[in-house]
Amino acid sequence: MKRFEYHEPASLEEASRLLAELGATAQVLAGGTDLLVEIREHLRPVTHVVNIKRIPGLRDFACDDAQGLRVGALITAREVETSPQVARLFPNLVSAVGQLGSIQVRNRATVVGNICRASPSADTLPPLIADGARLSVFNGNGERSIALEEFFTGPGRTVLRPGEIVTGISVPPPGAHSGRAYIKHGRRKAMELATVGVAVTLEREAGHCREIRIALGAVAPTPIRAREAEALLRGEAFTPERVAAVAEAAMTESTPISNVRASAEYRREMVGVLTRRAITLAMEAIQ
Amino acid sequence: MTIHDKTFESKFAVVGRSVKRSDTLEKVTGTACYAGDVALPGMLHGKTKRSTVAHAIIKRIDVSKALALKGVKAVLTHENVPRVLHYGSPHPRSASVTRDQYILDNRVRYWGEGVAAVAAISEEIAEEALDLIEVEYEPLPAVFTIEDAMRDGAPVIHDNGLPQNQVLPPVIVERGDVEKGFADADFVIEGEYELGRPTPAYMEPNICVAQWDGNGKLTFWSSTQTAFMVRGALAEVLGIPLNKVRVLVDHMGGGFGAKQDLFQHEFLCALLARETNRPVRMEFTRKETFLGGRTRHPGRIWLKQGFRKDGTITAREAKVLFNSGAYGSHGPGVTNVGTAALTSLYRCENVRLEGRCIYTNAPIAGAFRGYGVVQTYYALDLQMDEAAEKLGFDPAEFKLKNAVREGDIAPSNHPIVGHGLEDCIRRGMEETGWPAVRRHGRDTGVKRRGWGIGCEMHGSSAYPGIKEQGNAIVKMNEDGTVTLLTGTAGLGTGAHTALSQIVAEELGVPFETISVVQGDTDVVPWDIGAFASHTTYMGGRAAQIAAADVRRQVLAHAAPQLGATPEELTIRDGVIVVEGSNRSMTLAEAVAPQRGMPAIQLVGVGTYTPTKSYSFAAHFVEVEVDTETGEIRVLQVIPVHEIGKVIHPIAAQGQIEGGIQQGIGHTLSEDYVIDHQTGRSLNAGFVDYKMPLSMDMPPIRTIILETAPDPGGPYGAKGVGEDPIIAIGPAIANAVYDAIGVRFRRYPITPEHVLAALRTKKQEVA
Repeated sequence: MKRFEYHEPASLEEASRLLAELGATAQVLAGGTDLLVEIREHLRPVTHVVNIKRIPGLRDFACDDAQGLRVGALITAREVETSPQVARLFPNLVSAVGQLGSIQVRNRATVVGNICRASPSADTLPPLIADGARLSVFNGNGERSIALEEFFTGPGRTVLRPGEIVTGISVPPPGAHSGRAYIKHGRRKAMELATVGVAVTLEREAGHCREIRIALGAVAPTPIRAREAEALLRGEAFTPERVAAVAEAAMTESTPISNVRASAEYRREMVGVLTRRAITLAMEAIQ
Repeated sequence: MTIHDKTFESKFAVVGRSVKRSDTLEKVTGTACYAGDVALPGMLHGKTKRSTVAHAIIKRIDVSKALALKGVKAVLTHENVPRVLHYGSPHPRSASVTRDQYILDNRVRYWGEGVAAVAAISEEIAEEALDLIEVEYEPLPAVFTIEDAMRDGAPVIHDNGLPQNQVLPPVIVERGDVEKGFADADFVIEGEYELGRPTPAYMEPNICVAQWDGNGKLTFWSSTQTAFMVRGALAEVLGIPLNKVRVLVDHMGGGFGAKQDLFQHEFLCALLARETNRPVRMEFTRKETFLGGRTRHPGRIWLKQGFRKDGTITAREAKVLFNSGAYGSHGPGVTNVGTAALTSLYRCENVRLEGRCIYTNAPIAGAFRGYGVVQTYYALDLQMDEAAEKLGFDPAEFKLKNAVREGDIAPSNHPIVGHGLEDCIRRGMEETGWPAVRRHGRDTGVKRRGWGIGCEMHGSSAYPGIKEQGNAIVKMNEDGTVTLLTGTAGLGTGAHTALSQIVAEELGVPFETISVVQGDTDVVPWDIGAFASHTTYMGGRAAQIAAADVRRQVLAHAAPQLGATPEELTIRDGVIVVEGSNRSMTLAEAVAPQRGMPAIQLVGVGTYTPTKSYSFAAHFVEVEVDTETGEIRVLQVIPVHEIGKVIHPIAAQGQIEGGIQQGIGHTLSEDYVIDHQTGRSLNAGFVDYKMPLSMDMPPIRTIILETAPDPGGPYGAKGVGEDPIIAIGPAIANAVYDAIGVRFRRYPITPEHVLAALRTKKQEVA
């Protein structure tokens, strides 16, 4: 492994100052499951590692009907996966974190880390985007809030400015008569990157779709919302024809690439199949 | 679960029981020593610089900056290593392997070939130094497919005098009269089958440590299946006698055949150690196990068969084309064994087979569990399934009807002794409720299920390609305990446990009294290496012979003490008894030093030269195909194996389950892919080379028959290592056909292939 300088700041202020001073080759370490591999495999030039695990106040973890979900920067994927409250309110997120890496990885990896890595195929992103999650970002003086779906600018790239640290993520409480689902398409059940990920969160009212958000992973440079597809269903009845049209529109909105994992054509086709399936699953999940 | 058929009341005390493996404790407590655990004072770390072009002459190589880096102790290039043409896999006087490699050449033939090596005080510095080595390449045209490499005007990759980049002259196997056979046929079927490029992906990356002593003797730790072959190759290439090379290998984390080869770094490590006068360790990264490792031979098989209406096969003709990659490695052996395998499995008197192996600038293909037979039986079994349907037979009945029998001439040109394929097929049919379970494409939903059967046979030992020999030394200590010295390798298969069981059985002593000395070429008897499913069959038989020799000596020594003749004595559970009397003494009493009499020397030596035995299997598989995503899920596997006498049922079952897991991967997802413009690998790592993991595994209900023991093996034991990976592939492909009515004449069968085929089928129907 390439040599790097290691820092252990005791406060957010100190961490922020370090990151601002050290520049782009300084990286935050929380779980480290991505970072250390990337350093080892020479995928990311890192000269400084800033461990934030000594910083107090980053371990918030709460989930209830009134406030929704709040996950601090140091909460692991496994903690979220095994929480009965999260399973009750956000089964889509539990499904996503439960398919991230392996149990060993999930015991170290943090949900916020999975977000900040900004991989287009990251499992947690589509369900969190579909549920309207927001990030709390410390910027040296105070906090600002960023909608998760506006956080990403490209593979591995975000709107974070030098010295900014994501301290946690919050998800609003589920609406009445709402249902949610996340479907990951991969080549095997564990230790796998999504070939396509589709999350659907919807609300039903008198047999019609009151609200729907569709988030797609691994089919564009960032996770995306399929807004045109959503518009086709919003306010409409859930007929099979309508759902098929939504799936078709989601395919059109995706811009996948071809690589060794799958061809662009196959990924696009899966967007259609999985969007349709995710809508059905989300419908079935409505209490 | 294993259903382990007891055809007779066991007359054995140790053999046939799943004793606690002798390596269990050290492995679970982490004390088992692998080559990677070796740490020596002053040890340096070596790294290989690998080429970033697929085919080129090295015009200039400048190591000055690397040498100037603090901590770097030596750098080797083609300019300062001995230029000795050597075998890639050094089986002695064997036609299985090729002699076409140099330690480092001034020419590279594939992307990732080693072009230089560095030794430094840390791995990090060695890695840094690699980046400082400047290599200027003069590119040569590169070819990656068989078609391109055989074309007129293709670049010559090795100047071996053969046209069309052939590794060896075509392998031609002819029996009977194939023209007459086709003329007699009522029905002829032909097809072309495409083979992907799976890799063994062993858990333990290649690793070695080299140390020279003041007398010019090299001690060499290496993760190898063939310690004595490594010793021979090191001695030959470095120009030193065999007594100056000692190769050590204790435990291994798998090899699957590939670790019979030498991978450049062995020589580089020894040379770096000699140059620096310090021990040097070289360990592959996972990526290097792909770049510089070995794959199964990809390629293409054309197969044509003729049948009579009653299902009898009248003729079989095949053209087997294997892509060897940049070096020959085991190309000749794989081509011979894979091609000749098509003479059998399903009986046919008129056969004409042609096998070719072609150099390309692709990654090197080598020996890999199933050794060419995985490929050719995939084609054969799939075509049998298709022919059965066209002729109106159930595929299992059809395979049963044509199954190889006792006395048929095997691919090795010997009559088959003890068969069992029919038993395997029959038993599997009973277990599954065949043919009622078959779906015949009846399912109409999104997810459709189907059942398939695949069959195989595979030889234990590489005879006649290699005249093999197993050796063992058994010593009895003066307290009645026993030490077995064996050269067989401990790949992780439990072979040493099986050998200990055989020795214990033969001597009539408890299993726990046996200890094994292994993997030290200075100490143990010569061994050809662990491959060809022969370790228990051949090494076990040698151990049995050696143990019988000790037993004879012990009884001769004990007889006067018991006032009996040796013939009247039996050893049971460590006690020598006079049959039909109440006189007995323990072994310890019999062999203990007496006052005025030192310990007696009790050493038995066993040497066994096998011919060949065949093991058989039929795998029954249920799959589910998602017709919208194209995903194939294996729901359950019922493998039925005939492997002669089973020495350790759980270990045998482990081999079968492991082979099935690997085979599912080959059939559905594993494919090492290179860019056909540059030769660069696109998935040299586990992020994108996907093997099934435990969570992907279906339930497996293993059935082991013991109906056809082989007189050549210890207590009738035969090999099991390679068998299970052969039958699973065709069983899956045939089950997919039963589910969705599409035949895939290729592996891997990916979701994209499934969707494309379903689309084509839909268009055809429309």
